[in-house]
Amino acid sequence: MVNVEDLLFLIGYTLLIIIPLLLAVAYLTYVERKVIAAMQRRVGPNVVGWFGLLQPFADGLKLLHKETIIPTQANPFLFIVAPLLTFGLSLSAWAVIPFGPGMVISNINVGILYLFAISSLGVYGIIMAGWASNSKYSFLGALRSAAQMVSYEVSIGLVIVTILLSAGSLNLSEIVEAQQNIWFIIPHLPMAVIFSISALAETNRAPFDLPEAEAELVSGYNVEYSSMTFALFFLGEYANMILMSAIGSILFLGGWLPPLQIPPFTWVPGIVWFSLKMSFLLFVFLWVRATFPRYRYDQLMRLGWKVFLPFSLLWVILTAGVIVIL
Amino acid sequence: MKLKFFPLTELCSGLFLTLKYMFLKKKVTLAYPYEKGALSPRFRGEHALRRYPNGEERCIACKLCEAVCPAQAITIEAEEREDGSRRATRYDIDMIKCIYCGLCEESCPVDAIVEGPNFEFATDTREELYYNKDKLLANGDRWEVAIAARLEQDARYR
Amino acid sequence: MPKLTIDDKEIDVPEGMTVLQAAEMLGIEIPVFCYHPKLSIAGNCRMCLVDMEHSPKPIASCAMPASEGMVIRTQTPMVKKARQGVLEFLLINHPLDCPICDQGGECDLQDISVAYGGDSSRYALNKRAVPDKEFGPLIETAMNRCIQCTRCIRFATEVAGVPELGATGRGEDMEIGTYIQKAITSELSGNMIDICPVGALTSKPYNYRGRSWELSHTPSIDVFDAVGSAIRLDTRGREVMRVLPRQNDEVNEDWISDKVRFSYDGLKYQRLDHPYVRQKDGRLAPVSWDKAFEAIAEQLRDIPGNQIAAIVGDMVDAEAMVALKDLMVALGSPHIDCRQDGAKNGSEPRCSYLFNTTIAGIERADFCLLIGTNPRWEAPLINARIRKNYLYSGFPVALVGPSHDLGYPVDSLGSDPLILEEILRGHHPIISLLKTAKRPMMIVGPGALRREDGATLLCLARQVADKYGFIHQRKTTIPDPWNGFNVLHTAASRVGGFDLGLLPGPKGYDVKGMLDAAAAKKLKAIYLLGADEIDMASLKSTFVIYQGHHGDRGASVADVVLPGAAYTEKSGTYVNTEGRVQRSLKAVSPPGDAKEDWKIIRALSEKLGHTLPYNTLEEVRARLVEANSLFEELDTVQRAPWLPFGQEGKISSESFTAALESFYMTDSISRHSITMAKCEREIAQGAPHG
Repeated sequence: MVNVEDLLFLIGYTLLIIIPLLLAVAYLTYVERKVIAAMQRRVGPNVVGWFGLLQPFADGLKLLHKETIIPTQANPFLFIVAPLLTFGLSLSAWAVIPFGPGMVISNINVGILYLFAISSLGVYGIIMAGWASNSKYSFLGALRSAAQMVSYEVSIGLVIVTILLSAGSLNLSEIVEAQQNIWFIIPHLPMAVIFSISALAETNRAPFDLPEAEAELVSGYNVEYSSMTFALFFLGEYANMILMSAIGSILFLGGWLPPLQIPPFTWVPGIVWFSLKMSFLLFVFLWVRATFPRYRYDQLMRLGWKVFLPFSLLWVILTAGVIVIL
Repeated sequence: MKLKFFPLTELCSGLFLTLKYMFLKKKVTLAYPYEKGALSPRFRGEHALRRYPNGEERCIACKLCEAVCPAQAITIEAEEREDGSRRATRYDIDMIKCIYCGLCEESCPVDAIVEGPNFEFATDTREELYYNKDKLLANGDRWEVAIAARLEQDARYR
Repeated sequence: MPKLTIDDKEIDVPEGMTVLQAAEMLGIEIPVFCYHPKLSIAGNCRMCLVDMEHSPKPIASCAMPASEGMVIRTQTPMVKKARQGVLEFLLINHPLDCPICDQGGECDLQDISVAYGGDSSRYALNKRAVPDKEFGPLIETAMNRCIQCTRCIRFATEVAGVPELGATGRGEDMEIGTYIQKAITSELSGNMIDICPVGALTSKPYNYRGRSWELSHTPSIDVFDAVGSAIRLDTRGREVMRVLPRQNDEVNEDWISDKVRFSYDGLKYQRLDHPYVRQKDGRLAPVSWDKAFEAIAEQLRDIPGNQIAAIVGDMVDAEAMVALKDLMVALGSPHIDCRQDGAKNGSEPRCSYLFNTTIAGIERADFCLLIGTNPRWEAPLINARIRKNYLYSGFPVALVGPSHDLGYPVDSLGSDPLILEEILRGHHPIISLLKTAKRPMMIVGPGALRREDGATLLCLARQVADKYGFIHQRKTTIPDPWNGFNVLHTAASRVGGFDLGLLPGPKGYDVKGMLDAAAAKKLKAIYLLGADEIDMASLKSTFVIYQGHHGDRGASVADVVLPGAAYTEKSGTYVNTEGRVQRSLKAVSPPGDAKEDWKIIRALSEKLGHTLPYNTLEEVRARLVEANSLFEELDTVQRAPWLPFGQEGKISSESFTAALESFYMTDSISRHSITMAKCEREIAQGAPHG
């Protein structure tokens, strides 16, 4: 029996997350263009609005104006459902993210497992889009994407296991609180590196953006999409980036905790620290994209299976051993 | 090699290079429609047919440009004009086929066909990019000062 | 057989050959301007200088006879320097206006300068300026470009036989010209354009219109006379831009007549591009092919076969002729004729209508009797051969018929046909010459064959030939057979028509009979296949089907007009006056709805209920071979055995008349050619230019 008040509260709280999140997504595209432009000695968007600040809205409007094209040979139902699924999944993960002490919609005690499950489902949206488009480029892109996401989920899983062992809990808030004394990035630095690289692969970002490699696949799984369906993929991808940054900061950077438990750091609200940490990780996403060329597919697979998997397994055993001994 | 690989020093140095560019290097962007880059006197832009100072068209319909054109974008038909001189009755350039290689300009024995400095000739329809002799001569009249200056600058290297 | 060494290669050459020809046999290229294999040697351009051992100076290889033990080098530094020097001198006064010169791209001076010339000139003074000359409506002159090789002068004097060109002045002031500003009165003048190594003489109708590199070349056959010269059609897009000769030493050597070279503009005007049917108001209205065929089928349905006739014109290909013949046989008509000029020959044996000596054989003859012919107009290239033989051997030529300037001395015996009888009886003074001749030849022309007593004249000519040794049958004692009996035709289709039997069948009318029958309303329908040279007035009450390419005389009286293809627009088989089967290729497409002629007849036959059994060109050609196996062998002359022919009888004493009134406008193409009209006015009638 659901209380109406609770329901309204829930909806309000959800909106409180989704609206800033979408705004963040919009401005992430703007920041991405600005940052990459700066690293390439360019100016970046500066025409629409002050410093080009309205550029994301202009882009959104443009996408809205375009015609939604459903290819004749496509499966229309799956074709439409795929972007909805991708976008929906990328939003639903936020339900368990703690923005501060107690600032979470659903503080379930298997939060990290939930996140892991949701991000694993993300591959369905892409597979469906690739298959339903009935285009060879889409399909190849989707296959690449699926293989890549599956491969890197393995190492992400092992990274999470080390954190779980260290924190002794599956609840995200408890993981954060376990880092009161020392952020996990310090004992688990190699895992932090593996996690951030795997996060790039998991979100199909450069240098692992093989599923949409323009030179080979024109645009990968979303080549047949236009207008709002394309926008949903686009939003989903950027929301996933933010989500990965959030997970990263929770697992390794101590979530909402300040760097040191002394004033004046403790005066700043936890959500600000959380946002700052996320922003830094997001900047790393963009920074990496501006710096590195795309990987070759066999290199990507080799890295995932022959470097990250054995190394993180070894680290799990080491961590477990250390904890048992201590 | 392993020593470099494990601490990811190469990746880090790459990252710091881009970071350095982000903060320390001057921007090079030009605000295009308001600012424009410098053009070389050899820039190969929109075609034009030139005239002699007395107003007589230079082109003598020798068809060398037509023969040399690797994209076969030029079509010329010639006839004897009333005064007995050799003139083109038709001089068409398909600006869509054209690859702007400049061989027509190089082959022209009378400097009639030139690729001028204009690169802003985008149109709404393809048809507008099928240039005929009148259009090319009009181009020549419009750009003659700039074209003559460019040829003058480049003359000593030819 | 002198043996000499050129560039370390030894070669034996026949006596009298020059060093240049010997080098050519070895495949060694020596650049030349004034030398031309078909002209006399001038040796004035100095381009062919080569190094000869023991000679202090380089020698002109084109003028130096090859002799025993010569050692020639063509690649020494001295030769290279000599060539560069010659070219530098030639280019001193050459205007270098290649971009506006029509010769650009196919110019000997251009090519040789690139291959052998230096890179710069040391001459800084003003160039020579020469006023352009007026050479008539065919040849454009740009005398600044002339390098005084004198090829044109030698061509006019030697080959064309019109000594109208010459050089005035010496050294730098030397100019080529006609002395007075007049058109060159030769039927071969266009060849000067080909032999001019620079752009001094160019084609006036082609002036500034095209470039050599943008033309497609199609080998074809001249259909304006019965010589069947080898020509090359140069086309751009759907237009014939010019016509050039192909070398064929057995027929036309390097030359073609001006009529085929310049009348191509006639292909553009007054063309039939739609089928037409005459309406009730007497006008021709364009209709579809189906409608035109229906109109014919409706008319012919009620007409018995023996009231239908067909006349074949002068430019028709053998494919169309065999189709028409098959159609007429299917319709049951014996009235078919390919002799629209009313010639009286054509029946078997084959030797009675062939040029048995062959054109190349003229050069071996030592006496020539012309009967009722003017070869200069009727076959300029045969005339050029006769002149060539005259030039080399000085053989006597006698003429029975209206006299005409043929370009070589002719013993005109008068135009009375009875002279032939006198010769046969041995009373004529020419007999003494005839008796000494070993290989005499005679040419019986259309002026004799078109007469009412043409068949009798033919018989008389045969008797003369038999009596005075014009024929040497192949026997063991005579290893070298000779047939000096020749018939000269003027129509390209004629021999092919004879070979296919396009002659009136039993009780069939010939052309004159058809016209008379039509005038007497005994003939209900007549099919004119490209036939324009008949008296159309008598066809008023007849149903006339005209098939051809020009809206000319035939189309103007026709009830149904079927648009056919001109010779440039179809692949056709033609048999020349020697009996040489030759094939042309299609260069451009026919205009509008026009179709290849045999296809029209094939399509019509289906509508008439007598479907002809061939659907492709290959099948038509198989039918040609079936009709006469001669059509199997292309490009060779198959000699006809000498058999008696002709009907004896009395000949009238009426004088021979000329068969052609003019050279330039004789058929539906050349009548519509502006260039030919200009020639007619300025050359034939001598009207001043302007």
